Amino acid sequence: MAVYIDINRCIGCRSCEVACQRVHGGHGHINVHYVGDYAAVPVLCHHCQEAGCTKVCFSGALHKEGEVTAFDVEKCTGCGLCALACPFGVVWTDKLAHKCDLCQGREQGPACMATCPANALSDDFELAARRARERAARAAAVGGRR
Amino acid sequence: MTKVLVPTVCPYCGAGCGFCIAVEKERASGIEYMPDHPVSQGALCAKGNAALEILCHPERLVSPLKRRGEGWVSISWPEAMDLVARGLSQAKKKHGPRSLAFLSSSKCSNEDNYLMQKLARLLGSPHIDNCARLCHSPSVVGLNRTLGAAGMTNPIPDIASSRCIFIIGSNLAENHPVISRWIHRAKDRGAAVIVADPRATPTSWMADIFLQLKPGTDVALLNGMAHVIIKEGLINRDYIDRSTRGFEALAEAVKEATAERTAEITGVAAEDIVQAARAYAKSPASSILYSMGITQHSTGTDNVQAVSNLALICGQLGRPGTGVMPLRGQNNVQGACDMGALAEFYPGYKKAADPKTIQYFSAAWSVHDLPLGPGLTATEMIEAAAAGTIKAMYIMGEDPANSDPCSENVRQALESLDFLVVQDIFMTATAQLADVVLPGAVWAEKEGSFTNTERRVQWSHKAIEPPGAARSDGEIICDVARSMGLQFDYPHAASVLDEINRTVPQYAGITRERLDAGSIAWPCPTADHPGTPILHCSGFNLADGKASIVPVAFRPAAEAASSDYPFILTTGRVAVHHNAGSMTRRSPSLISREPDLYVEMNREDAAALDVQDGDEVKITTIRGETAAIARLGDRVKKGVVFMPFHFPGTNILTTEITDQEARIPEFKVCACNISRRD
Ligand code: SF4
Ligand code: SF4
Repeated sequence: MAVYIDINRCIGCRSCEVACQRVHGGHGHINVHYVGDYAAVPVLCHHCQEAGCTKVCFSGALHKEGEVTAFDVEKCTGCGLCALACPFGVVWTDKLAHKCDLCQGREQGPACMATCPANALSDDFELAARRARERAARAAAVGGRR
Repeated sequence: MTKVLVPTVCPYCGAGCGFCIAVEKERASGIEYMPDHPVSQGALCAKGNAALEILCHPERLVSPLKRRGEGWVSISWPEAMDLVARGLSQAKKKHGPRSLAFLSSSKCSNEDNYLMQKLARLLGSPHIDNCARLCHSPSVVGLNRTLGAAGMTNPIPDIASSRCIFIIGSNLAENHPVISRWIHRAKDRGAAVIVADPRATPTSWMADIFLQLKPGTDVALLNGMAHVIIKEGLINRDYIDRSTRGFEALAEAVKEATAERTAEITGVAAEDIVQAARAYAKSPASSILYSMGITQHSTGTDNVQAVSNLALICGQLGRPGTGVMPLRGQNNVQGACDMGALAEFYPGYKKAADPKTIQYFSAAWSVHDLPLGPGLTATEMIEAAAAGTIKAMYIMGEDPANSDPCSENVRQALESLDFLVVQDIFMTATAQLADVVLPGAVWAEKEGSFTNTERRVQWSHKAIEPPGAARSDGEIICDVARSMGLQFDYPHAASVLDEINRTVPQYAGITRERLDAGSIAWPCPTADHPGTPILHCSGFNLADGKASIVPVAFRPAAEAASSDYPFILTTGRVAVHHNAGSMTRRSPSLISREPDLYVEMNREDAAALDVQDGDEVKITTIRGETAAIARLGDRVKKGVVFMPFHFPGTNILTTEITDQEARIPEFKVCACNISRRD
């Protein structure tokens, strides 16, 4: 599982950032990037199947637990190799590594997903694609949007 | 100690999102979302997520203060009350009750606002207003005239059932972010979205048709759309005949407003105007959402009427998915107006100039000598203070020295008062000018009802105690009233709501008990009435039940670009800040994301001035100058610049020219010059 993004919906409001920081004692793991003046993309850990960060983490702090790329803070030495290895640039180190933990321990699931005002974040991998397909199908059915 | 979850209403915008505050050991320890909330469904924007950061802020006012020389000394509550009573009484005795003016607050609860306006009027002053004057007074004036009610006609979740959503002069994606989810839901169902704004914004990212008009040309655009709709026979003749009056005059007035002519004035391509007009008129259910881009103009009332004309000729009112929706900017700006904290209205929009209103409230409050209005508006109070006719002011939860246009003049006017008492949570620029400062409470530290932009009344519970000697605003007003010899016996907010139930017909059935079970939209005339989510389903609250179509002619904004001031400055809000910024600029996770005042300019304009992205530039108008960081991009067209108004600098620049009727200043258009700082 990971948090997936529907770029059609993101309004770049940065609520996910503030929420993530709030529930992680000030360290946020999601960052909103702006594509010119036309779109915004929140960037966060993909919980890769072949996770580069776990491959280089010699202490075993970053490791796979099923689908999740988990982090054991006790084992982290703060060496920073994970930050170099992650192809998406979503692990940070300042003394310790920081990355999305899917709000482990938060009963209601990831805070960013719950708080996103535009419903742009979800743990349903198919959702964004399904929405796009439905929009296209409807457009085809009525011969264009208008 | 266990954790208790206390349900509250977000203190920022008018969307009225709910969230619970987790309270442990009498401290607010965190936020829990509210997935079953009807509007926010558990979502919150960045401001909502950061709301707790202002609770224990080190700069909170924790004791009453009195001015001594250049500084302040802490005083006790009895001493403060004594000073306030003396200050207000002296002005009243020397210059009469009309020398007193009161500014109530759209940040405070219905109960606080009700008490404030009652205090003003029992003291004999008609001069009571709130900062709705600076955001939606044209909606109050315009929509009361055309539709007979000034609120949003349909609830926010209803937007999802709209088939065409026309957003004009609102950057709701930044200012009311949760509304976006309802727009996306409508889009998923095939709705078309039209956005008209001088800036490309995250709201226009959602648009199918984007009309990037020149600032201040809204009436021209709306008239042009009406022209196309009438010419192409897309009007709803049935609806016009049955439910409106005045159509013929409108048809005549927009005869010349062809798409080509409109294109020349607005800078929007003629075919886009036609396409937008068709989409709006043809869809089975279209809604119009608007905000300060419509109201904050010297033609604000005209703009609002032009919006309502469009809805009326297409019959896009009174059904699910339709409506005219003024989006309110603050958590209780709707409620503050409902409660009569307005110069021209007593509670429940009873006209202050009508002797019947005076009779009604004299009976309700068992008093005589209530002042006949209208009183001075927020902007006029400042002028009157400068002119010396207002001698003493009581300002609660507002920061006119920062939020009003031409803020240097405001400062001087407030300084010239004999007595100024300011009640707030921080030492704002306005509080700096006061004789006495009273520490109030924020939403989480008091209880009360709040009315969001949809007329939805919700009860917000008290989670924690105010810091230090700070007290709830209602208690403070009652104390001031008592120290002036008035009978103000309200042991708690619920007892004020009790009186509101008796005196404000729209709120008659919105009792404290019912609010425990959930929110209710006014009008709700009786205790068993379900409330009225959608207005105007069966006619209008006007003569013959018919709405008025009021033709308006396009007038240019008061200021135009000139050779000395070649740019048009427009102002607005950004996602992580709110209004004058006294809360958000003190909130670490918000200010860190938008730390500086900036001016957004077009790349070509910047290149001509040799300005790079991030350079500090000087912005000048005939009223003053401000420094800001240049932010370059394609968001604004050439000749237009944008500044957010959350920082003190912006309103040094804006014009104090107001709409003739609603008295709202033209924050959205003024002429400025930009130059490099070195
Ligand atoms: S909260 Fe949602 S809409 Fe806002 S920036 Fe994050 S993903 Fe985008
Ligand atoms: S931190 Fe980077 S490499 Fe590791 S799982 Fe997340 S996205 Fe993949």
